[in-house]
Amino acid sequence: MTTDLTRPLLLEDTPLGPTAGGFYRRQNAYTGLAAGVLFGFVGWLISHALLQGSNWGTDMVVTVTMVGWVIGFNLGVGTFNAPLRWMLGHDQTYEDELYAAGVGQGKKRYYKFCTDHKVVGTQYLVLVVILFFIGGTLAMMMRTQLITPHTDFLSANAYNAIVSIHGMCMIIATIIMVTGPFTNFVMPIMIGAKDMAFPRLNAMSFWVVVSAIPPLLATFVLGGVDAGWTTYAPLSVQAPPAMDAFSITMIVFVISVTVSGVNTIVTVLTMRTKGMTLGRLPIFVWASIVGAALSIYAMPALLIAFTSMITDRVVGTSFFVAGQGGTGWLWENAFWIFGHPEVYIILIPPVGAMLEVASTFARKPLFGYKVTVAGFVAISALSIMVWAHHMFTTGWAPELAGPFMVTTEIISIPTGIIFLCLIGTLWKGRIWTRLPMYFVYLFLWNFIIGGVTGIYLSDTPADEFFHGDMFVTAHFHYTLLGGAMIAATAGLCYWFPKITGKMLNERIGKTAFWMIAIGIQVTYFGMFWEGFEGMPRRVAFYDPIFQHANDMATGGAYLLMLGWIVLLYAGIDSLRHGPNAPANPWHSKTLEWKVPTPVPLVNFLVDPVVTSDPYGYGEPEPVGPVVIPPPHPDRELVPNLSGDNPLAKDDG
Amino acid sequence: MQQGDSIVAGRPFFSGPAGKIFIIWFLMTTVGVLIGIFAPHHLMPTLLSHEATDVWRTMVLFTILAAPVAAIVYAVAAYSLIAWRHRGNQDEPPEDGPPLRGNSTVTAIWLGTSTLLVLVLLAWGLAVYSSEAVAEPHSLQIDVTGQQWLWTFSYPGTGVETRTLVLPINRPVQFNVTSVDVTHGFWPVDLGVQVDANPGVVTVIRATPDKLGSFTVRCSQLCGLYHSFMYAPGSVVTSAQFARWLQAHGASTTTAQAAAFVKK
Repeated sequence: MTTDLTRPLLLEDTPLGPTAGGFYRRQNAYTGLAAGVLFGFVGWLISHALLQGSNWGTDMVVTVTMVGWVIGFNLGVGTFNAPLRWMLGHDQTYEDELYAAGVGQGKKRYYKFCTDHKVVGTQYLVLVVILFFIGGTLAMMMRTQLITPHTDFLSANAYNAIVSIHGMCMIIATIIMVTGPFTNFVMPIMIGAKDMAFPRLNAMSFWVVVSAIPPLLATFVLGGVDAGWTTYAPLSVQAPPAMDAFSITMIVFVISVTVSGVNTIVTVLTMRTKGMTLGRLPIFVWASIVGAALSIYAMPALLIAFTSMITDRVVGTSFFVAGQGGTGWLWENAFWIFGHPEVYIILIPPVGAMLEVASTFARKPLFGYKVTVAGFVAISALSIMVWAHHMFTTGWAPELAGPFMVTTEIISIPTGIIFLCLIGTLWKGRIWTRLPMYFVYLFLWNFIIGGVTGIYLSDTPADEFFHGDMFVTAHFHYTLLGGAMIAATAGLCYWFPKITGKMLNERIGKTAFWMIAIGIQVTYFGMFWEGFEGMPRRVAFYDPIFQHANDMATGGAYLLMLGWIVLLYAGIDSLRHGPNAPANPWHSKTLEWKVPTPVPLVNFLVDPVVTSDPYGYGEPEPVGPVVIPPPHPDRELVPNLSGDNPLAKDDG
Repeated sequence: MQQGDSIVAGRPFFSGPAGKIFIIWFLMTTVGVLIGIFAPHHLMPTLLSHEATDVWRTMVLFTILAAPVAAIVYAVAAYSLIAWRHRGNQDEPPEDGPPLRGNSTVTAIWLGTSTLLVLVLLAWGLAVYSSEAVAEPHSLQIDVTGQQWLWTFSYPGTGVETRTLVLPINRPVQFNVTSVDVTHGFWPVDLGVQVDANPGVVTVIRATPDKLGSFTVRCSQLCGLYHSFMYAPGSVVTSAQFARWLQAHGASTTTAQAAAFVKK
């Protein structure tokens, strides 16, 4: 079948009915679960039968079982349907593609392999919230253990396992917290695109990361990962079989992030609507592609590290075992070559989202748009050259401490541009203090503290005191939680009406805000105090001299967790009882607010034409920043068939 | 692009926003500088070595240098909430603010200042680091071995091997650190230095204790089940006490004297 690709696909282009029916159309998360368990069991059975009694038996069994689970789950949920059908010589009809986009399935499409970018974004949002609450619960267990110097709440082994999984669960959640929900849901609409460039890869990136979570949680019943989220070798090479499941999680996660990063970059480079030049891209789109580019650079290092870890553990190579010619420093280098760009993969997209919020609620254009974009690019370029500041005290290459100190401190110059952009935007603004703006101010407060404490740690002599103690923990929680996650929360409150179609309950939301804001300060100032006094990280029991600082941190942590629960309640309450959101409640100028709420399957009836950047607050609008031409009379586009999203015919 | 109109406004300085922000900035900077001067001193443990004192100096200096930068951000943010906040009906957006899209002068000042500050921090940090990295010719050698989950200290040439780290005052010490199993972090807290104990290699860290007192050697790298309990007592004593301590732990009088009293 040939299709004229110069015009939009229409229903009448597909005289053929569906070629894929039956099982193909019954697949959802539950068939994925069943197939995953089945494949995992088959993997366990085969490897168990073949390898029982050999030296590396248990590790191999766990590895094969987990790989079986991941493959089975993705087969079951439908990740590989289209490629498999092509291999078998079948093509997808247009009707099949419409089905894959969720047409006519109502809410069920949220449980399926759905190629609609808005469904993928919503799925990601739910996943991120779940991951945050798993990670948060683990954090509460840790803080409860640390109530007194010798609490019997957790065993030492359970504590170490929880330390590791809290860390990695939160890292996974923060890496996808903005690029998952908002880059998928909002970004294509922002640039006037119909969808992501590769909708199937987009859905794949989500379901692959879903399949990575059960192995992560299975570590608790496989002996626990007792080496921290950084899993330094050789301790991790000797760790219980949980480490194999942990490695599978990370490898699978790398696949997801890489796929999603490629998708983001290609989407922005090729799918922009007419007039959406690179210089007119909303700052969030820039942040998304810079973060995506950085993840494509950084993720392979993690892939290599964990693949080598698995071969060390399963087949007896010795990349990281000192006694057999390897070295733990190799692991540390590979891990941090991923690990430092990673913090900017986490940070830059939420900062972009937060700057959109700042501009909208200060009712002013973004201050220094080009400088800020240059700052993002400079941060990401520098961030690939700073990894060894995590290794100042490992004894590896002391002569490189100086150069890495230089690169690390230089990165504070482009990071400072973010603050310039922020306070420049606030300057003489008309500050509209709705809930999203609260979180912008909280970001500003926290990120300064995170940044200044980072400068102490970038100084090698000072790092030789603070490294590996609670000061470091407090510092990176201020940047990643107080900075990135709060910025992402600003974005969440900002886009909540667009994504859910409901206004967020700001009265409950502001209660949550104050609990979170105060909770962060109390918790992490408690941890700074512990760090100054010299309390090491990751200890289940501590010297009684640290008691008071720990009291402060534990109390603050409970308040903080309660704040997030209240915020979740605000969200759920708003979903159930909130008033319907108008298309543009914030009177913002970016494109996603020009489409109806809820967003129909076809984002734009006709491609919009962009005539300026979206920050023209206070400027005369001769033609408006966006022109949406009227629908072409002889073109009846695909109607909205998903059931719950009425398509506004008079849009624009 | 409109150049910032009011940043260099013609109005009397202290009545315009710039003047009020300056006052807030000045107060916040003062608070920051006071925090820098007093907080590290009160929060850090007793500093028993030259290196630990350097860490404290670094904390004070960096806090004082960071205070004005943090304060300008906080001052503008605070002032924006006080003076430029939309006070009407919160359901409707306020009218748009002035369309300031950037200001090259302000950007240049911002970038110049932050570059200058970074250069000062780097000059300080590199100078301190290079002064500490020098090997002293007559330093006391101590072999430190980490294992799950205890520290062993041996004094080469004396035959003394203990679970307690005892150091003579005012004598440069070189710790030669290794591990027999997994990676540990050798951290004599109050000496202000640390280095990992890696299996198969010897890593080196130096310190010069300059005050008498006791401290704790902790493990700063998660090393398995009882990482929390991996610590050892340590103390800085006079040379005479150190010689007696070595003798009490089996060193001969000659070697103890030689280890404790070295002419520089």
